Amino acid sequence: MRVFTAVIAIAAGILILGGYFLQGLFPALADVQTLLLNWAIILVGAATLVGIFNLISVHTDKVRRREKGSTYSAILVICLVVTLLLGMILRPDHSAMEIVMNGIILPSEAALMGLLTISLLYAAIRLLRRRTDLMSIIFLITAAFLIFSFATLPFANIPALGTVGRWVTQVLALGGARGILIGVALGTLTTGLRVLFGADRPYGGN
Amino acid sequence: MVISADLITGILSFLFTLLILSYLIGDNPLFRIAIYIFVGASSGYIASVAWWQVIWPRLVSPLMFGSMLEKGLLLIPLIGSILIFMKVSPRLAGMGRIAMAYIVGVGAAVTIAGALSGTLMPQVMGTINAFDLVAAAGRNIEAVEVVFNGALILAGTVFTLIYFHFGARPQADGSMKRFRLIEILSWGGHIFIGITLGAIFAGVYAAALTALIERIASLINFIGNFL
Amino acid sequence: MADVIKCPVCGESNLPDQEFCQYCQSRLQPLTGSLKGANDPIKPGQAPTKKNTAELEPILPQWLRDARDSARKSAEDNAAQAGSQPQESFNTSPPDLLAGLQSQSGSDEEETPDWLANITGAAPKAKKPQAESPEVRWVELGGAKDFPQEESAKEEPEEEPFTPSWLTGLTPTESSSDVKDELTDWFRQENDSQKSQQSSESQPAPFDTSFSASESSDTPDWLKKMAADNPQNDDALFSDASKVFETPSSDTPDWLRQMAAEDDNAPILSAGTFDAPTSTPSSSGDAQPDWLRAMADSQDRPQDALPTQSADSASFSELTFDEPPTGIASEAVKSATNDNVPDWMKGFQSTESEELVQSETPAWLKKEDEPAPSAETEAPAWLSSMPATESEPEQAPAQDDAAFGDIPSWLKAAAPQSSLYEESAAEDLPLPASDSSPDSPDWLNTFKSTEISFEGPPPAFTPDSQSNENIDALFAEMPDWLTNATDPSPSTSTSPIPAANTDENIAPGELPSWVQAMRPVDTGSARSSSSPSASGDRTLESRGALAGLQGVLPSVPGFTPTSKPKAYSIKLQASEEQQAHAGLLEQILAAETAPVPIASFSALTTSRNLRWFLSFALLAVITTVLFMRGQSFPMPVGVPREINGALQVSQSIPEGAPVLVAFDYEPARAGEMEATAAPIFNVLRQPNLTFISTNEMGSILAERFISGPLADPDQSGFQYLNLGYLPGGQMGIRAFAQNPTRTTPQLVDITSLSQFMALIIITDNADSARAWIEQTSSIGNAIPILIISSAQAAPMIQPYYESQQVGGLVSGLYGGAVFEQNNGGVPGITRTYWDAYSIGMLLAMALIVGGGLLNLALGLRDRAAMRESN
Repeated sequence: MRVFTAVIAIAAGILILGGYFLQGLFPALADVQTLLLNWAIILVGAATLVGIFNLISVHTDKVRRREKGSTYSAILVICLVVTLLLGMILRPDHSAMEIVMNGIILPSEAALMGLLTISLLYAAIRLLRRRTDLMSIIFLITAAFLIFSFATLPFANIPALGTVGRWVTQVLALGGARGILIGVALGTLTTGLRVLFGADRPYGGN
Repeated sequence: MVISADLITGILSFLFTLLILSYLIGDNPLFRIAIYIFVGASSGYIASVAWWQVIWPRLVSPLMFGSMLEKGLLLIPLIGSILIFMKVSPRLAGMGRIAMAYIVGVGAAVTIAGALSGTLMPQVMGTINAFDLVAAAGRNIEAVEVVFNGALILAGTVFTLIYFHFGARPQADGSMKRFRLIEILSWGGHIFIGITLGAIFAGVYAAALTALIERIASLINFIGNFL
Repeated sequence: MADVIKCPVCGESNLPDQEFCQYCQSRLQPLTGSLKGANDPIKPGQAPTKKNTAELEPILPQWLRDARDSARKSAEDNAAQAGSQPQESFNTSPPDLLAGLQSQSGSDEEETPDWLANITGAAPKAKKPQAESPEVRWVELGGAKDFPQEESAKEEPEEEPFTPSWLTGLTPTESSSDVKDELTDWFRQENDSQKSQQSSESQPAPFDTSFSASESSDTPDWLKKMAADNPQNDDALFSDASKVFETPSSDTPDWLRQMAAEDDNAPILSAGTFDAPTSTPSSSGDAQPDWLRAMADSQDRPQDALPTQSADSASFSELTFDEPPTGIASEAVKSATNDNVPDWMKGFQSTESEELVQSETPAWLKKEDEPAPSAETEAPAWLSSMPATESEPEQAPAQDDAAFGDIPSWLKAAAPQSSLYEESAAEDLPLPASDSSPDSPDWLNTFKSTEISFEGPPPAFTPDSQSNENIDALFAEMPDWLTNATDPSPSTSTSPIPAANTDENIAPGELPSWVQAMRPVDTGSARSSSSPSASGDRTLESRGALAGLQGVLPSVPGFTPTSKPKAYSIKLQASEEQQAHAGLLEQILAAETAPVPIASFSALTTSRNLRWFLSFALLAVITTVLFMRGQSFPMPVGVPREINGALQVSQSIPEGAPVLVAFDYEPARAGEMEATAAPIFNVLRQPNLTFISTNEMGSILAERFISGPLADPDQSGFQYLNLGYLPGGQMGIRAFAQNPTRTTPQLVDITSLSQFMALIIITDNADSARAWIEQTSSIGNAIPILIISSAQAAPMIQPYYESQQVGGLVSGLYGGAVFEQNNGGVPGITRTYWDAYSIGMLLAMALIVGGGLLNLALGLRDRAAMRESN
């Protein structure tokens, strides 16, 4: 099983890479790549359903075992099943599902995002009490300045503030962001190659 | 009285907004109830989307109504989907490794190619092109500014990369220490990363503040509709 | 047989030239060169030769050497005292059955187990008869008066409360003078031998404790010890066996009772047990084992029906009875000894008269049957003490029951032998009839003569007054094999059976070298070994298996350990370095468990107040501003490059051109994204929009966007197609970019990504934007990419704009406001939110700066205070 899964992963990866870099030489690789990718899309969709079923089973077990918070789990399961039934019956683009989206999902998520405002502000205020080092100070100064630069003063405007703010974003922050992006790309490259070489088998093949 | 969908949506929106914002007072059951309802509704909705927009149109429908070629080509994803569904059962979860291996292999190849051709090379070239005076002239940017900004961008990129270089040598006293030059450059990367993270923090705060404003505005609008 | 050597361990035959057993790899040849010549197996009829193994003594274990020394010493003392005080030794007190434990207790080393020590160290040391006080009994159960049963047996001979019925049925047959228990004969012989030991020093002792002269290095220590204890052990085992037979307690197994009931007329120790495998069919039930049935048969059979028994017994003795009493072989017996009879059996036979020998009886059994006087000079000492114990077996059980009440069999086995031997020395004394008690049986009366001076309780074990009861007691828990060996052949005639008559029945045996090495060669030592225990210790055991016994493990000066037991310090021997390391480890472990005070935790106590303050401040300001709907804060001026690029891209899109729009944001950012994206879509001129989303919620958010900020698209000329959810992240994007039609069948007219005039990515996630950029860079490089992002993702998307992979970037409400300012459009959502947004940002900046400075000062103060406290 270990070898078989590794062979599958490596073979699929090589074919996909061939579709990227060798489709000029072998045009068929582009079609193969598309076919393989569409298969993967289907499998990802199936995996999404498996994840939902797992969520249901976990909370159902909690309810069955009457664990702490089982009431909330029951609420979750009920809402999930109701929404799922509605979605399966009426389809996701139905107006009822829009009510679910605009009446429950979106307000809840947006409100949670709004709570993040308080938390971020609180964390920024308390940061220097926890740790006072160069990075913290620079971090806070940059954050405060950019926050200030993203706003306008009442009844007035300071053009230089926006200019300096943009310079910080487009030059200083860009250098760091680019370094981070390159680092991320290198990490992704390394990780992907390890998977294709069989060194890493995150699919459970050890 | 006819209850419109907008009214229901408004009531639900108002209610859930208040329930969630009640967390500002502290953790409370109302907040928890709202959270669990939100998670349940979201999951149910996602499941319905996954079925109606993925499984049905891409797998089930072609298998039922497609041509023989389509059906033959979909046998593999069908088997793979079955194998993935086996992960629901602990006893059969091992069979799902085959499908997961396929997904991981395809994903690894896609990310490799994407990172290489979409980020790594373009960003390296972008750092180099920051000193392109011709292009800068096209944007009406002065050469000094181009060189200065380009140097800062280059320094920020390099220093940040050096900051994430954690190679070190053992010292005489047994401690591990990086090269002195690496140490100095990484200190510079410290600064650039701090600035970048500060910018991200400001952006996150701005986004969160916008979301809060939007929620408060919806509350005011909902209340205003009844006033 | 002579061509092979039997392995002493596994019993398998090996070639004579082999040094090690080919089956178990045990040594077959002795290591000592001087003994090699004497390593030949002993042939039946072969007289034992004395082996000089003194040179091996230095290599013996300390405990064995001590035991040997003690044995020699006791032999000398006994030889000196046996003649001078023989009667006294009999009259004073019966020897302690467990007295043999004395020597062991004194000579054992730490490694020797108790049971083994009892066996090995029981070499009869100098147990002087004087030490046999009346309080010392052959089985000590406490005080000397702790034998009410014994006394009652004497006083009331009719009452035999502890005598089983089956045993009483046995007694008449054995009470006759002709039918004697072989053990009685043995005891008599023992006495005889002791009597004559001084005169026959040249003869090998039957169980000489000095047999170690013939010990080979192959002999296990425990066997050597056992060999040294043979006299004691044998008798002790016999006494155990008798106890078992006599005790009708619950401990007596049913089979034994049944056997007893069936063997009313049989001697207790039937020879039938000796020929277990090949005995004649038993009259007992089928449930009985063969050996038991054989025992029953032998008890019913006359003496002449023992040929097979003798043969079997001989063979059995070859296999299991490892202590051949060869030292007692006399010339007369030698001539009559069958070749199949082992040498040690010949030794038994040598004590018997040839006239009375029965042809089918093994020599040693016949010897046991012969009268004591005939065995005076040649019988082994321990055997000579047995003759007169056959009579009156009824009284002994009660006595023995009390005597062996709780004593383990092994302990009984280890104890009494020396007493037997010692007491047997007085057997020759005349037994006045006047001394015999009227209640006492005849056999006891004969012993009474030796107990003239005995005023205490009747001795539990006296050599000449060995009653059948005592003998039975001795054999009570005797092992089966020994029971067979001691089976009193029905031919209790006093005439010894000629050994020659057993030639045909007893297969010639070859004793292994290690058995040969164990053969006793010195009768003098045997006499000394048979000296009774001189234990005068009256220590009463109060606990354990010996509870209630007195003098079981006495500490006699003569038997004190020659070397003190090794003293092992319980204190840990550790060097300073090790102790230092241990201390360091202890400190580390203590530090792991010790709570570490975190000074900053105290600062968290006011967090709720601060949180409430922040919440109140923000909510109050934002609500107020939004409720007032004021426009006090001007829109931002100036156009950043990325926004300018977005403006150019949007304006460059032809009218009605297909535009791919990716909705990849979460509902949480719907407000921000809609406010930011709306101005851009207002710039587009009747585009043909295609919506797609790599987020499950993106599809419905697109519908919401169309139906919300971009309401009434027909009026604006918008046409859109919502492709819905595209799963797989980068995989889905790549598949869509590679072949849009195949990936999304709804998309009919577009076969390639390059057919779109622009790609607008509305996202709140930099990774999502990166995925779109990466996967479309190699394909849709020709189409411009416009990213409308959340403010939180802008810093990470900015590099893609700087690297010209993205044509424009509009991020956050600020970007939307700028874009809205410069596209000349009507005020939209951005304007509605801008005042609240600006004041919220300013408030945040003020709180961060002010609060940060305050907390910085507080942090510095706390650290300073902490430094001072430290």
